[in-house]
Amino acid sequence: MSREFRTALPFLLPLVFVVSVFMLFPVIGTFWMSLWQDVSFLPRKFVGLSHYLRLFRDTGFWQSAAFTLLFTFVSVAVETMLGLFMALLVNEQFRFRGLMRAVMLLPWAIPSVIGARIWQLIYRYDYGLANYVLQKISGKVVNWLGSSTGAFLSLIIADVWRTTPFVAIILLAGLQVIPDEIYRQAKVDGATLFQRFFRITLPLLKPILIVAVLFRTIDALRVFDIIYVITGGGPGGATTSLSLYGYKYFLLGDFGYGSAISISLFLLALFIALLYIKTGRFKEAVL
Amino acid sequence: MREEAIKRFLLVTGVIWLLIFSLIPFLWMVIISFSSSPDFLVRGEGSFTLKNYIDIITIKTLHFPDYLKNSGIIAGLSALFATIIGAFAGYAVSRFRFRGRLPLIMCVLGLSMFPQISMVGYLYRMMSMLGWINTYPALILPYTAWGLPLALWMLLSYFSQIPQEIDRAALVDGASRLQILRKIILPLALPGLVSTYLLLFIFSFNEFLFALMLTTDHHARTVPVGIALFQGLHGELPWGYIMAASTISSLPVVLIVLFFQRYIIQGLTGGAVK
Amino acid sequence: MHRFVFFSIFFGLIFLNCEKGHLLTIAVGGAPNELDYWEKLIREFEERTGIKVKLIRQPTDTDQRRQSLIIPLKAKKPDPDVFLMDIAWLGGFAASGWLQALDDYVKRDTFDLTKFFKPVVTSVDIYEGALVALPVYIDCGLLYYRKDLLEKYGCPVPRTWEELLQVATLIQKKERTRNPRFYGFVWQGAQYEGLVCNFLEFITSAGGGLFDSLGNINLCSKTNIHALTFMKDLIHKYKISPPNTYTEMKEEEVRISFQNGDALFERNWPYAWKLHESNDSPVKGKIGVTLLPAFKTGKTASALGGWHIGISAYSDNKEQAWQLVKFILSYESQKRLAIDLGWNPGREDVYEDPELKHNLPHINVLKESFNHAVARPNVPYYTRLSQILQIYVNAAISGRMGPEEALKKAEEKMREIIHTYE
Repeated sequence: MSREFRTALPFLLPLVFVVSVFMLFPVIGTFWMSLWQDVSFLPRKFVGLSHYLRLFRDTGFWQSAAFTLLFTFVSVAVETMLGLFMALLVNEQFRFRGLMRAVMLLPWAIPSVIGARIWQLIYRYDYGLANYVLQKISGKVVNWLGSSTGAFLSLIIADVWRTTPFVAIILLAGLQVIPDEIYRQAKVDGATLFQRFFRITLPLLKPILIVAVLFRTIDALRVFDIIYVITGGGPGGATTSLSLYGYKYFLLGDFGYGSAISISLFLLALFIALLYIKTGRFKEAVL
Repeated sequence: MREEAIKRFLLVTGVIWLLIFSLIPFLWMVIISFSSSPDFLVRGEGSFTLKNYIDIITIKTLHFPDYLKNSGIIAGLSALFATIIGAFAGYAVSRFRFRGRLPLIMCVLGLSMFPQISMVGYLYRMMSMLGWINTYPALILPYTAWGLPLALWMLLSYFSQIPQEIDRAALVDGASRLQILRKIILPLALPGLVSTYLLLFIFSFNEFLFALMLTTDHHARTVPVGIALFQGLHGELPWGYIMAASTISSLPVVLIVLFFQRYIIQGLTGGAVK
Repeated sequence: MHRFVFFSIFFGLIFLNCEKGHLLTIAVGGAPNELDYWEKLIREFEERTGIKVKLIRQPTDTDQRRQSLIIPLKAKKPDPDVFLMDIAWLGGFAASGWLQALDDYVKRDTFDLTKFFKPVVTSVDIYEGALVALPVYIDCGLLYYRKDLLEKYGCPVPRTWEELLQVATLIQKKERTRNPRFYGFVWQGAQYEGLVCNFLEFITSAGGGLFDSLGNINLCSKTNIHALTFMKDLIHKYKISPPNTYTEMKEEEVRISFQNGDALFERNWPYAWKLHESNDSPVKGKIGVTLLPAFKTGKTASALGGWHIGISAYSDNKEQAWQLVKFILSYESQKRLAIDLGWNPGREDVYEDPELKHNLPHINVLKESFNHAVARPNVPYYTRLSQILQIYVNAAISGRMGPEEALKKAEEKMREIIHTYE
């Protein structure tokens, strides 16, 4: 143990303690719980990995895994593109830019449950704002939450509204460190607006873009709040994310199986994070 | 010249789009909160009213003021704890070059990627065994832990900007490490501490899943859970109440964002870019 | 100094919410006015007996109410001593050993069980031979109709689903010219527990059911497929039920639609009567209530709902708890709950009360429908079976899956669940 480390230790201990007890340990504990049959009306017993075997045969699990992955892919793709646009926008010089940035942040800053409640009201079939506007424009109405596709798209829109600002903030930081010099030189050389974007901005932004996408991906994989409120996982279980699927088993009192579902999501997130880190040189970008 | 025009066009349309896209749902929330019936658009009748606000504040059995109080205390304290603990750790990591420094940062940052659902099962168990279900500590402690990765990340970048010569000079003068942190580093990094605190506050204030699992009633239930479960006996959704409660609960966050927008953006991105 | 403040706040908080001593506690959930009423009822009990009682106010959401009971029960906490349970949880609570058997108390005090609805007590309150709960409030599905509109077009009150379809189609067509939002029949089709009740009523009234006569699961039968197809067709083919039936229609959505004058027939619980007949209701005085229709192949059926009262097996106050239960189930309290809150008594004798008959003119229909009640399966894993049914029945009525395929898949899943938890 070096002297430096000994001096550092007391400063680090509180963090290590709190994080271990309330984050690391609970994950291990949840894994331990997944090895037990834990249902109130059945005897508690050790069942090993049999819950994981049950997952393989559980079509509900595969359906929600597929939904979760699709939701993650679509929402992250849309949010990255829109977020890039937003970041470019608020990186420009114009009056009230500060206010604009604040407005942009709002949907992300308020509780996700509130955002979800607002969208739920907007999507209402009978007196929702979306159908009212649609009726005025086209004379038709859409049963937003009634079909799997409709519910999926509704959730994507609500999620895009809420989390695009986060992507924009991260990318804004990346934009701010690209020196103006480069752009000026490119202009002198006759590069157009779009050429400058694709040849200079995008390549220089790439490392931070990867960070933003990784964060968003991990966050989208565990989506819970907006689905709980807007669709409750319906219609017909079509929008049940893995988090919600696990939660439903907890609510039913089957803690063993619920834990197994939760740990699967954990492993999925871990796998995807490692994939990014291996391919995206994440470490250099962060540190 | 043409290029300038394109750029200007993109900028103007972009700003308009951004305003509409971001603000319409908020406007709708406020409008419904002040209207006597949520379906006034299709019914063609409805009037301005303060009833929703008066009701959610005065009807004791709705417990909205309780939720607000719980959220304030829980988010306020957990953000405070996380900022303090994060400051200690951030100081150590930015000042001492010990082995295992990088892996430690990576591990803590990695923890923030854990899905909440993979912890909540055991947390529920733990809090039941301790008898803490439906109490403040049941949420404050996990929120503190949950906020620490972000706190460490943000404070680390602020502390790194403070030159180490200051520490060395103070050490020569006989100050202890703890004194240096308290008397020199923290005051210098005050803007960083404030933005860390505010962001952590927002995160804890907004958290839903832990609060849903670990609380049962108004003694500890927080605003997001209250709003998500606001419903009548037969499952009706009192939209006026929900939107009035949402408007009130958004206010602190909206004010924080409007006044501290620069610090929040700096804080979130400080660590991302070198 | 700073650290001292820090830790004292911390530990202060931890011990802030410690549990109270041996006070008798009862957990009830509901709308604010109902809880206030319960508070009053309990104060009265206190005055009469001198036993101090604390009311634990639960949320209104049924799932949340269940969860807030499961937490203390799983931890074997002495509080709450007495609580109300939804009929659908009884099996699970009883099988977990959380409910105190009441037989000894009943015998000792010669408490008259025959005063309660016998089919209700025998089908849900007795678990493996032991009496574990008693009905406080019984609910079951009813058909509400617009008396004025039926008279206007000279149509009879329907006895069969086929008649209802015919009448609804006719009147909907005519009324649409006046009100473009008018629908013939509204019912609960959203993916939640209420859908299971509606489904159960449709299939039972077609002569089907979830199980065959031997108690084996038999979901994918011809009659059930026929009933489910009819449910789907109400929305998609005959279009007498609105398209948001399978996304948004729960009790209150249905009630509000009917109460606004936007529907001819409504399937709902008894609570809707009082609200339809309230002073600000546009349909006040224009409605009637009757038994739900049946298919030609079957008899009318009403899904049995309601709340039952029980004593925790971990209660440290069982004797006083029993006194409270007896007080709540007394003729007088039951009558008052019925008149003031519209809670239909679990006691059959209260239904003959002249004052009650005067206040609730539909009480006879209620009593009759309780005798046609169909209970949901009383098994500990019922909630799981229900979730499966909710998903597949909802998928079928939304048109995303054929009725036969949906029932076949649901049956498969239910078998798996029974296999897992039996």
